[in-house]
Amino acid sequence: MKIPLHMAKEKDLQAAGLRAVPEEEKQQALVKGIDQYRQWARSLMVMLETCTKCGACANACHSYLGTGDFNNIPAARADLFRKLYKRYFTWTGKTIGRYIGAEDYDAETLAKWVTYFYQCNECRRCAVYCPFGIDTAEITIAARSIMTALGVVPRFMTGVAANMIKTGNNMGIPKPATIDCCEFMEDEMKEETGLDIKIPVDKPDSDILYIPSSADFFSNVDTMIGVAKFFHAIGANWTIPSTVLEAANFGLLFSMDAMKEQNQRMREAAKMVGAKLVVQGECGHGWRAAKMYTEGANGPAPFGLVHILDYAYQNMDKLKFEKLPWRVTLHDPCNYARAGDIIEQPRELLKACVSEFVEMTPNRERNFCCGGGSGILMDEMMDIRMQLGKKKAEQVKELLPLDFFATPCSICKAQLPHVMKFYGMEDLKMGGVMDVVGKAIVLA
Amino acid sequence: MLLYFVGQVLPYIAGAIFLIGVIYRVAGWLKVPVPFQLTLFPAPTSGAGRIAAVGTEVLLFKSLYNNDKNLWLWAWLLHVSLAMVILGHIVGIYFLMNQFTLIGLSASASQTVSAFLGTVFGLTLLISLIVLFYRRLVNPEVKQLSDPADYIDLLFILVIAITGNHMRLPGVEVDLPAVKAYLGSLLAFGPAPIPDSGVFIAHFVTVMLFMIYFPFSKMLHFAGFLVNRAMLVEAAPVYPTPAGTPLRSSFAGARAPVADSGQAKGVQA
Repeated sequence: MKIPLHMAKEKDLQAAGLRAVPEEEKQQALVKGIDQYRQWARSLMVMLETCTKCGACANACHSYLGTGDFNNIPAARADLFRKLYKRYFTWTGKTIGRYIGAEDYDAETLAKWVTYFYQCNECRRCAVYCPFGIDTAEITIAARSIMTALGVVPRFMTGVAANMIKTGNNMGIPKPATIDCCEFMEDEMKEETGLDIKIPVDKPDSDILYIPSSADFFSNVDTMIGVAKFFHAIGANWTIPSTVLEAANFGLLFSMDAMKEQNQRMREAAKMVGAKLVVQGECGHGWRAAKMYTEGANGPAPFGLVHILDYAYQNMDKLKFEKLPWRVTLHDPCNYARAGDIIEQPRELLKACVSEFVEMTPNRERNFCCGGGSGILMDEMMDIRMQLGKKKAEQVKELLPLDFFATPCSICKAQLPHVMKFYGMEDLKMGGVMDVVGKAIVLA
Repeated sequence: MLLYFVGQVLPYIAGAIFLIGVIYRVAGWLKVPVPFQLTLFPAPTSGAGRIAAVGTEVLLFKSLYNNDKNLWLWAWLLHVSLAMVILGHIVGIYFLMNQFTLIGLSASASQTVSAFLGTVFGLTLLISLIVLFYRRLVNPEVKQLSDPADYIDLLFILVIAITGNHMRLPGVEVDLPAVKAYLGSLLAFGPAPIPDSGVFIAHFVTVMLFMIYFPFSKMLHFAGFLVNRAMLVEAAPVYPTPAGTPLRSSFAGARAPVADSGQAKGVQA
């Protein structure tokens, strides 16, 4: 393995409800995993069989542009999977394998898979630029999910999964701590505004279930405060659930079963408080998992589902803002722009809240990933994370000086401060779009 | 004996392998469910919008145009000239190059225009194949990405284009009515002997071999393109889920890793 990723050991796997496949059975298990996945999701087969190796994806990928590593070209990354797929599941691969680029499983296979499928941020930018629309995120999601079933998974992911099982959130926050934290934020808001703005927890008969990112209870408190002020301003009957204090869904990033389980928690929380509407907080892949995967993974849903930025945008006529004298730019989280249909809403909110809004180039569905996407937030990966964030840093640098850099996704919020510091922009203030809404909003 | 096989047996073998092979592979994709919407935003929201979005990709290679204009130019020229050549074969042979009399030209003018267009598109195809082959050799990233098959695919079509263009050289005569009669006999399943013309037989046989090769190769990217694009423009899910929405796959029903809250009951796949 060429990357310093810490992999889960037996006890880490157990805590996450997983198990390791013995070394001598790994090849068979991997081939079986590919076979099951290809009969489960059409995208895998079609995307593996359609690439013509035109190379158009190379310069679309921030991972390749940042690291310069050939295998980080999306077509090359997918080829690590494709070589095995051809060898074991195509007639030509079995007979004239070398001619079509098929390859046997060997001692290096899994190491290569871990190395390169954990340098893909699943950002889908290649799908925008590929003439066929081949989405390497689909291949990465499949590869990671198959490896997890073999017990080949980063310890970071099993740690999140274990916390999720224990507490319903990635950070492992128990209910009493959640309530304490809400009271702290309520006191802050009381001091600032003189108003009693509540953050209700598990309140029965709530119309709206708000699912925050658990990071909003540690490092991104301003996001949660902005959301609470917004709900107060529109007079919403809302609550947050202690059982699923997590908009993120790391399952999408390492195991489709875990993804399904997390979406199920959301459904049950909505049922418990009787919510008709679930509002998802600022989390990119979590939004994708909720919006795009709930129906497919968990069946028909009886509640409405909306993103906080969309919901705030829909309610803008009920809000009053006093513009902040700031020059602000927006980073489009990949899973909002390309995978979640949240493109214009944060722009409209920011334009209403600040004096100067500037676009970075490229933007919207052509924006580059922060480099932390798909949960590549491990400390041991810091050097690679900085390379993955290189394009983003270049984009931001062109716009300096900035008063605020809006990054409305918890993974972006965790990754970008490191990137900005590394590329000499440590003074840049960053946070969510709801942070800005919370600061500009005028409450009666 | 060999001419009998090449002219009256091989076309049916090639046609059968081509058709069955393509259908078998595409059906293999289509029988697998799409468990989740893979909508790539911003996405069209109406049926007409979806057709327009895929249509501009098919006809203009829009994504590639936005990404890499140089590659776009040659890839687009290759595919457009190929489409024109195939179309030209159908109408040019059927009407014996008199197809433009249908729009008011005289027979001799129609034959001149037909020959001119055939030459232009035939040469465009040839040149764009050579440029793309050259690009595969000199672009370091593309070179490293390429498998032997990627070169062979281009060479194969190149041979077809060369043997086809060969028939247009001055002094090379091919009896078009005889070719038409022969192809007509093949389509009517009453195969007549292949016209005794070396250049025609060379072209015809390489096309037959290519048809046999086609379903086993990544030539199927034309179908993958459509199946893939269809997934990317699918409508995003709507919540609450409208009544009567069928389960997308068995994953949504039966295999719940945690106890289901009952909301999905009664709709098990």
